[in-house]
Amino acid sequence: MSAAAKVIERDLLATLDPLGRSGRIWIGSLLAVCGMAFAAYVYQLVYGLSVTDMRNYVSWGTYMTNFVFFIGISHAGTLISAILRVTDAGWRRPITRMAEAITVIALLVGASMVCIDMGRPDRILNVVLFGRFQSPILWDLVSVTTYLTGSLLYLYVAMIPDMPILAHAARAGGRSPALVGLYEILGLGYRESPEHRRLLGRALGAMSVIIIPVAISVHTVVSWVFGMTLRPGWHSTIFGPYFVIGAIFSGTAAIITAMVIFRKAYHLERYLLPKHFHKLAKILLALSLLYGYFTLSEYLTTWYGGAETDARLLDLLAGNGPTGATFWIWAAFGLFIPIGLLLFPSKRSLRSIMTASVLINIGMWAKRYLIIVPTMQTPFIPAQAAGISPHYFPSVIEMTITAGAFAGFMLLYTLFSRIFPILSIWETVEDAEEAAARLPAPARTPDVLPTPARAGRVPTAFATLLLIVGVATVTPRPAGAQARVPASPAVGPAPPVQIALKRTTEDKQEMLVAIVTVNGRPVKDAVVGFSVARTFGIMALGEDQTLDDGTAAVRYPSGLPGDANGELAFSVVVKSPSALAGAPVELKLGGAPAKHTEVAEVPRALWSSRVPLPVVGTIGFLLLCVWATYGFVVTQLVALYRLKQEG
Amino acid sequence: MERRDFLRAGLVTAGGVAAGTVAVTELAGRTNPGIATGTEEATLALTADGELVVTPARTGPKAPLTSAEVRRGVPGKKWVMVIDLASCDGCGNCTNECAKAHFVPGDREWLRLFKMKDSASTAPYWFPRPCFHCDNPPCTRVCPVGATFKRADGIVLIDNERCIGCRFCMAACPYSARSFNWSHPGNSPAANAKGYSPEWGYPRKVGTAEKCDFCADMARDGKLPHCVGTCSMGAMWFGDANEDAVTNSKGDTVRLSQLLRDRAGFRYMEELGTKPSVYYLPPDNRRSAAPGEPGANRSNPLRRVDLQR
Repeated sequence: MSAAAKVIERDLLATLDPLGRSGRIWIGSLLAVCGMAFAAYVYQLVYGLSVTDMRNYVSWGTYMTNFVFFIGISHAGTLISAILRVTDAGWRRPITRMAEAITVIALLVGASMVCIDMGRPDRILNVVLFGRFQSPILWDLVSVTTYLTGSLLYLYVAMIPDMPILAHAARAGGRSPALVGLYEILGLGYRESPEHRRLLGRALGAMSVIIIPVAISVHTVVSWVFGMTLRPGWHSTIFGPYFVIGAIFSGTAAIITAMVIFRKAYHLERYLLPKHFHKLAKILLALSLLYGYFTLSEYLTTWYGGAETDARLLDLLAGNGPTGATFWIWAAFGLFIPIGLLLFPSKRSLRSIMTASVLINIGMWAKRYLIIVPTMQTPFIPAQAAGISPHYFPSVIEMTITAGAFAGFMLLYTLFSRIFPILSIWETVEDAEEAAARLPAPARTPDVLPTPARAGRVPTAFATLLLIVGVATVTPRPAGAQARVPASPAVGPAPPVQIALKRTTEDKQEMLVAIVTVNGRPVKDAVVGFSVARTFGIMALGEDQTLDDGTAAVRYPSGLPGDANGELAFSVVVKSPSALAGAPVELKLGGAPAKHTEVAEVPRALWSSRVPLPVVGTIGFLLLCVWATYGFVVTQLVALYRLKQEG
Repeated sequence: MERRDFLRAGLVTAGGVAAGTVAVTELAGRTNPGIATGTEEATLALTADGELVVTPARTGPKAPLTSAEVRRGVPGKKWVMVIDLASCDGCGNCTNECAKAHFVPGDREWLRLFKMKDSASTAPYWFPRPCFHCDNPPCTRVCPVGATFKRADGIVLIDNERCIGCRFCMAACPYSARSFNWSHPGNSPAANAKGYSPEWGYPRKVGTAEKCDFCADMARDGKLPHCVGTCSMGAMWFGDANEDAVTNSKGDTVRLSQLLRDRAGFRYMEELGTKPSVYYLPPDNRRSAAPGEPGANRSNPLRRVDLQR
């Protein structure tokens, strides 16, 4: 080992030394905030979500904002570790672990935000038991789980070469045997040898490629939670890429902020050099311009189109109220001030880069809030038309839990840096040796590059089947009906009235004809009422007076569906003369279109309980690609572990 | 030739016997003279005075429906509602009656009445909005657990015992038809006594979504929904699209297709592609004062006070 490498090892291991007073205060205050947030959450569990300011119109608020925010900064790891690793940008090495740790911890915090937002967290297993793959929430669940698994694997694989160093140092430093054991187990018996290096390189190469589409898919499906709805401001085709760029943007700002803090706290000035900040500042500037471009595309098209509900949303966004103020805070903090600070290379300093990063973090939180809340305040049917003005401002509980989320994030990050050096020892050594030798780094491209899964692509529209309401038509057959009316008791002894019913066609007009007879003789001038039974009532068809042949007729209700056999239950009543008036007579007449009575087969549809095959197919294929790559990485680790056994 | 002449001629040639086969329904032996409808649970009968009475066919306590039956719906039915904006006078009885029948707390309305005015120059009108029970329901599409579901009879219901409270359905509904149990509902003894079914949605469960259920249990029994039955203007119609008929509170039953054709019926925001089961008739030739006009009803004043955003 070179002398330079020894210095690096010593310096970076020093970050694990016991904390000083300020460090203990830091952890103590984070714990205190987390404790308050925990108490707030228990309060929310007891009293329900009414302790938030969310109500029926604004039904998502701060928790969803936090969810999008934390999933967003989880993309820090993807940019630094994956994109820069794939492009073999050597300067990335001191910051890879910091970025990967952000990814894992931000994902954990983001996912917990969804659980905190749930009305029934006790039923969380229903998502597994009854999960519907038509729902973007399931897409979120699957892709966040996949991303978390991949990020953990990635973070871990890149830490393996440090484990023997850590185990050795912990043993020498008299640390607890449990910690030494942990390092040894995680180390998988790794030694510096070409064969170990080769296997590790293959695993890292595969992970760095596959994690990129997975990360893109994560923020794409997060955006689709909004984009798949029909609401103004959400139903946007650019939401996927818009969110992905926003995520990498805020993730980069987050990593710069973390670098500044760790640099100061752990005295890493020799490793986190101005060049790192300046290179990241360029990326941050590019991303801020890109995000500005996406924002312009989004709002300009919405504004120019000028659809009514869109216009209402934009009025709210740029208006005088608190939403308008938030919008301009975002525009200033998230976009204009950072661009101003970063635009001119001569004006860039550590201070200005740091300021820009912190402002971007604040601005991007505000932007996520602006995506969620104003849209919920501008529904298609204006709430104001019912005398309701939907407003929202986070309650104390929501603010406390949000503070807890940030504190928890920082706490986990700090604790991680207490157990594992926040700067990768082996990669920093590699960087130094590379710089010293001024030789190109050995190719770390894996022998077999897995096919990158195109995780961002799930067809956005599927043909939706409706219930088949085909009404089978029975061949019309001429039919008639006849009934004897019992004498109405109220009227006293009345002659038995007989009513026959039939359907005829006259002048191309279908008629319903009743023939009223008493003792076989037609009754003249009797008023006959016709009606037909429906589920909730009797549909009147009309009245007619009988002629001297006893017939009365009304138009036949052509096309009116009958029962399953095509029979219509007509009701005929003689209304006058009173001597003949009686109870209505039901007469069934066939020949009507048969009513559809079969229960339609449940179709495969987005709204149905049966998932459309393209949805399962696409999700299944993408998952297979990704998890097969994870499997490949694990086989490399197994091979690495076996090397130890053999050696 | 006059119609009567033609008929008479036809009858004469047929010798007084209807041409073709004759189906005879002999009613003489029936103890309950009247007409029966297709439903098993209830019999609709028309009395001699032309009054419509509903006679339950089974008098004993009904066996509770299985969860599969609740999810399937009433076989062969396709429930629809028609709301006549020309007849609605904005009294709010529908909202109140619905709230009473479903024990709806004061912070929400299953059927909400809006005072609409689409533009400065167009006429204002009352707009009652129940759940539209869409045939392509956005809420049901996004539910992660199938707690909200679409039945074959068209009704979209919520299983409050499965709902996880993610509120994605509320975000997805373009009509803001859904409400949430933000706090513990404090169910009344009457609500508790009835026992829970998705067909009536109470007793309520904290942390779950709810909305208008088209009075699924009433429709199953051949009864009009509370809102339709209580409408003093007869402005709301309900029926089975499969039998092409809708009925209102006045006892009028008309053909659905004809009503929609004659009155230029439409569905709200057809362009969203949600295919609602609720139709509207335009507010032309109004029967009462439009919102904001002299003599117009104040929409629902009692409930409005409690309403939260």
